[in-house]
Amino acid sequence: MKRFGLIFLALLVSAMPSATKAEENYTFDLSEIEKKPYHFSGYIEAKPVLYGLNSNSAFYQLRFFDDPNRQALPEANGRVRLEGSYEKSIFRVFARLNTDLQYNDYAHGSEQTTFYEAHASAKPMPAVTIDVGKKTLKWGKGYAWNPVAFADRPKDPDDPEQAMEGYIVATADLIRSFDGPLTIVSFSPVLFPVYDHINSNFGQNNKLNTAGRLYFLFYDTDIDVMFMTGGSRPDRYGFDFSRNITTNLEIHGEYAWIQNTQKTVLDATGAAKAVEGQAHTFLIGLRYLTSFDLTAITEFYHNSAGFDRDDMQNFYSLVSRSFDAYQTTGDQTGLERAAQLADSGYARPNAMRNYLYIRLSQKEPFDILYFTPALTCMINTDDSSANVMPEFLYTGVTNLELRFRAGVMIGGQNTEFGEKQNDYRIELRAGYYF
Amino acid sequence: MKKTIYLVFALIIMLPFSAFAVDGTKLLQEIDRNLSPESYESYRKLINIEPDGRKKEFTLFTVKKGLDKVASVFLAPASEKGRSTLRLGDNMWLHIPNVGKPIRITSLQSVVGGVFNNADILQLDYAAEYDVLAVKEEGGEYLLLLKAKSKSVAYDQLKIRADKAKRLPAKIECLTETGMLIKTLYFKNVKDFGGGIVRPAVIETDSPLYKGYKSVMIMVQIKKRMLKDEVFSLTFMPNLESLR
Repeated sequence: MKRFGLIFLALLVSAMPSATKAEENYTFDLSEIEKKPYHFSGYIEAKPVLYGLNSNSAFYQLRFFDDPNRQALPEANGRVRLEGSYEKSIFRVFARLNTDLQYNDYAHGSEQTTFYEAHASAKPMPAVTIDVGKKTLKWGKGYAWNPVAFADRPKDPDDPEQAMEGYIVATADLIRSFDGPLTIVSFSPVLFPVYDHINSNFGQNNKLNTAGRLYFLFYDTDIDVMFMTGGSRPDRYGFDFSRNITTNLEIHGEYAWIQNTQKTVLDATGAAKAVEGQAHTFLIGLRYLTSFDLTAITEFYHNSAGFDRDDMQNFYSLVSRSFDAYQTTGDQTGLERAAQLADSGYARPNAMRNYLYIRLSQKEPFDILYFTPALTCMINTDDSSANVMPEFLYTGVTNLELRFRAGVMIGGQNTEFGEKQNDYRIELRAGYYF
Repeated sequence: MKKTIYLVFALIIMLPFSAFAVDGTKLLQEIDRNLSPESYESYRKLINIEPDGRKKEFTLFTVKKGLDKVASVFLAPASEKGRSTLRLGDNMWLHIPNVGKPIRITSLQSVVGGVFNNADILQLDYAAEYDVLAVKEEGGEYLLLLKAKSKSVAYDQLKIRADKAKRLPAKIECLTETGMLIKTLYFKNVKDFGGGIVRPAVIETDSPLYKGYKSVMIMVQIKKRMLKDEVFSLTFMPNLESLR
């Protein structure tokens, strides 16, 4: 019946002396608004990258210890993301499948295919949604970091808008609206199982964790309060907020308190010791739009459980000593131990304590529509090293996104960005949506 | 001093609007109701046209409730599909499916690029955001001068030229506090959408700030619809398309 209605409307529109067509030559394909029970779409991406390597850095020596004089590493990356859904009555199933391809002449080729999301939903009424399956929850208000995203994987601060893989959860959204300064309240409880084949890399196995988020829109301010408990990871509690101060200025922040975090630190001789303690992590950020369409995002991030300068220097020294030992004796034992430590935390993005993130993007300068140049700086304020990333984005062709981006590491010896494996990187990303 | 200059400027602008022949507020409310029911659902297409004639098109499904609640979801093109925007009074958010969480946006930004900004796309009733300073009758038209009720409104002043008989806008000039023209909206092609809704199907806009560029909004369908308040929430944003 609905279909006949649309056909009738299409005939009506085409038959009528509609000025949208006759006078202005504006056309509208009514199939665009016809709702189908299923949906299928995708994204395909090609991303060649050139890494300019720093053969004196710790992470170069850790990764390329058997090829000590490499100057550059060209790499070809590809991505295919397919998603589909089917809806019937109050039920819906959705899946997003991601395949990453990578080739360089050092590690050669790799391919990884993962369901980023795959879940079933029921929406018995607008105020209630229930989801079961693999899903990203995306808690938090920060742009580069989300300390309160307790039930998500950490996002890449160098590319925070990338799609991420979720976890298998059972969750619900319960929404209630009110008149007055408290406009909206919603509660999202989460069951988060961690067993042998379910979310097994999240933390301690054989635990059914629970988490929850309570959201308020109160006096025009978004406020979330969240928790996660259950034993797979130390219990954690947090809150976030976001508010528009003026029409062009937004402020946001997050705070998380984590009980009993553990990390492995090294002394000057390279001896490891486990350190336990509470962690306080927060960020405070601003988003500002100038009258000439420059958007500035700035965030300060603090993680009390991060490594300090001495911890990192001891790690870099361990890598250096192990690399020298390998060069002279061929013994890889020290490098293998350093690689384990790297995986346990020293190599994670922003492993230290204090960071400043600044992103400036200018919309359509010189009246060039859909062209957005941007400059992003990630500054480690503990050791004054930085990653500076200029980029140019063009979205003028429907469904095609072209991004040219460079990254330059600034920092001396024993600094975070000075010890990265590359001095610079240049990449071109061409993405097509269909 | 600055305030005095603005006041004098506003008075100079108001001089031609010498007398209130009609109740301006009531007239503005009538114009609002003729443009759309207070609560509705609609399908629109936005077209950005570049000086060389190249076009970029977006299709949106929009729902509105009461004076201050509007939400939209993009249906096309594929690169934008699933993106949704929500406005509750002065608060605006954008939800991008890949990014996941809704982020706050401002009325002066544009989620589609081109001349239309977020305030144009998530338009509330004019009477909800503006006071009528003056009304003037000119031939078959009313001329209304509006002033924003608060600093959070995208345009400080509007000059509306409305058809006297149909009580529908024909042209709206959007001005800054100093009277600088930001953009002009042209309402064209009045069409019967059914359910008693007779309104312009096309809104064109140009701006001295974007010389040579033009954006067009085509109303394809609009009908009355009453939704629950809970639909207009951050938590519901990822599910907006389910309302279709």
